Amino acid sequence: MNRMRISWLALYVCVYLLFLYAPVLLLPIFSFNDSSIVAFPLSGFTLNWFALLWQTETLHSAVRNSIMIAAITAIVSTMLGLCAARAASRYAFRMKRGIMGLIMVPLVLPEIVVGVSLLVVILQFGFELSLWSIVLGHVLICTPFSVVVLSTAFNNLDRSLEEAAIDLGETRWSTFRLISLPLIMPGVIASLLIAFTISLDEFIIAFFLAGTEVTLPVYIWSLLRFPARLPSVLALGTILLAASLILLVSAEFIRRRGLRRTGATDRGGLF
Amino acid sequence: MNEMMIKLTSVTKSFGTVTALDGVTADIQAGEFFSLLGPSGCGKTTLLRTIAGFEEPDSGSIFIDGQPMRGVEANRRPTNMVFQSYAIFPHMSVAQNVGFGLRRRRLRPDELQRQIDDALRMVSLEGFGERAAHTLSGGQRQRVALARALIMRPKVLLLDEPLSALDKKLREQMQLELRQLQRAVGITFILVTHDQEEALTMSDRIAIMFEGQIAQLSTPQDLYMRPKSRQVADFIGSMNFLRAEILRRQADRIEVRIEGLGKVELAGDQASHNADDQPAAGVRPELLTILFDETDRAAREVEGEITGRSYFGDMTYYEARLDGASNAVTISMRNTSGRPVLDAGARIRVGWEADSIILL
Ligand SMILES: Nc1ncnc2c1ncn2[C@@H]1O[C@H](COP(=O)(O)OP(=O)(O)OP(=O)(O)O)[C@@H](O)[C@H]1O
Ligand SMILES: [Mg+2]
Repeated sequence: MNRMRISWLALYVCVYLLFLYAPVLLLPIFSFNDSSIVAFPLSGFTLNWFALLWQTETLHSAVRNSIMIAAITAIVSTMLGLCAARAASRYAFRMKRGIMGLIMVPLVLPEIVVGVSLLVVILQFGFELSLWSIVLGHVLICTPFSVVVLSTAFNNLDRSLEEAAIDLGETRWSTFRLISLPLIMPGVIASLLIAFTISLDEFIIAFFLAGTEVTLPVYIWSLLRFPARLPSVLALGTILLAASLILLVSAEFIRRRGLRRTGATDRGGLF
Repeated sequence: MNEMMIKLTSVTKSFGTVTALDGVTADIQAGEFFSLLGPSGCGKTTLLRTIAGFEEPDSGSIFIDGQPMRGVEANRRPTNMVFQSYAIFPHMSVAQNVGFGLRRRRLRPDELQRQIDDALRMVSLEGFGERAAHTLSGGQRQRVALARALIMRPKVLLLDEPLSALDKKLREQMQLELRQLQRAVGITFILVTHDQEEALTMSDRIAIMFEGQIAQLSTPQDLYMRPKSRQVADFIGSMNFLRAEILRRQADRIEVRIEGLGKVELAGDQASHNADDQPAAGVRPELLTILFDETDRAAREVEGEITGRSYFGDMTYYEARLDGASNAVTISMRNTSGRPVLDAGARIRVGWEADSIILL
């Protein structure tokens, strides 16, 4: 009976993982395939699709835009998240639940609603659509994630550590800099990474609020209208896949090293 | 020596509907080892945090070394605190922890190092400076917390149950060391504890707190021998209570009849001011003596019957009912060789003395 259940469970896990990752594995396979038609059997090995990417100037500017937007979004939403999370975990104030709830709303709001309403507002005020309008939208949807991650970090931080620093003569600000910030740094890095990743592959808001310049997801979407360009989209996908894997692994590496340094017990984390 | 270090006047503090401090008034002398003792939730930590500046009192005043503390932030007060969790900064070395408070004084590196070494030597942690703080044991953390606070040369050191996280052996050792350290540095210590033995062995004076108020503030001996209320008597050590009736009250003599003990005349200071017309006579378990031998004699003797016993190695605690008394009493007897162990039902003679009675 027991063994039966375990083998069913194992089967379920296998099917689940296959469903999750098999499509992703097709990406690198076809990106090296020497044919513009994405179908088996494979016809031969080529690096042409990658070379093609190398020569596409519009792609380069889309990548630059995306990375810049993602970086600014990550920094801004993490800073906003720090303020909100610290206030929520350290102070009691009127309407705290309501205010924190409002910060969290974009988490469940459909992005298309956020995109359209921001578009209306920006046009109404007579502003030009630009990369900054995308940053605005992305900060809106990334801040809730930062708040969640950083609230956990603040709640795990023993409050008497901050009080001890103040007791030893430090100001609130120097206490934050010398004690709180180093100890919640794993949370800060996690928040930066999450916001960066969300912003990087966000499509709907970027699509609505883009002016003349586009981000990478919007650029990829525009490529899909030309079937001949499909393999180069796959090649691009392969590069993105490799990049995010490297990013993820290094983030976890940094996080664990941080934990080892302070001897904290491992609570959560990505793996 | 009788210089006043801290003056608390009607300090009151509420959290919402909870009154944590309810008119606390006390004077604490310079160089004194002062303890705040009381059951959980009576406001000890709140009082300590109010002195440290982490809580602002709703009303009342706090003076430290003659200076009013209203509006003075914690980082500007001449106090330092040893937190219950020790609050050792986990991302720093032991030396960085201990020297943390000196950062602002901008000392020369060699002078800084010398002071850190001195502080570590004071708490017997020489050579631990380079250790990462998170690798320390509980007792070592406690010492680091102590060194980190003492290096600041505060006028008052505040300690919130600093020993409660340690095991019994280490706790007793640290009690001694803490007391010696306090004598050596001469700084006023205010210790919060809910362990009455700890308070009795370490303190010059103790304030017993119940529900946000100081019930009695006195020396350990006085608190133990002359508690002012039944609550205090019961909290410090254990106390037998027997019903009593005041027969005659004169200026400095009181004649009472005590259930199970009989008629006795007490000195005036044996009766607490709180004693109403339904007083109880209190007597400590160790001040009642079971007369084991036929030939044992005591100034005053009564008879009774054993109803139970608990054995503690060096001591045996007997439950007994004295003839004519409605409450049982506890009698503690030191176990010596050749002394019999009495079972329930055994008849006993109990010796006592008039001056071991207090009327509450
Ligand atoms: N920040 C706070 N917010 C709300 N209530 C509080 C706060 N701090 C203390 N209290 C309340 O005030 C009362 C006294 O608390 P305090 O921590 O001073 O007790 P204590 O004597 O130190 O108890 P213990 O021995 O358990 O530490 C308690 O009823 C507690 O619930
Ligand atoms: Mg407490």
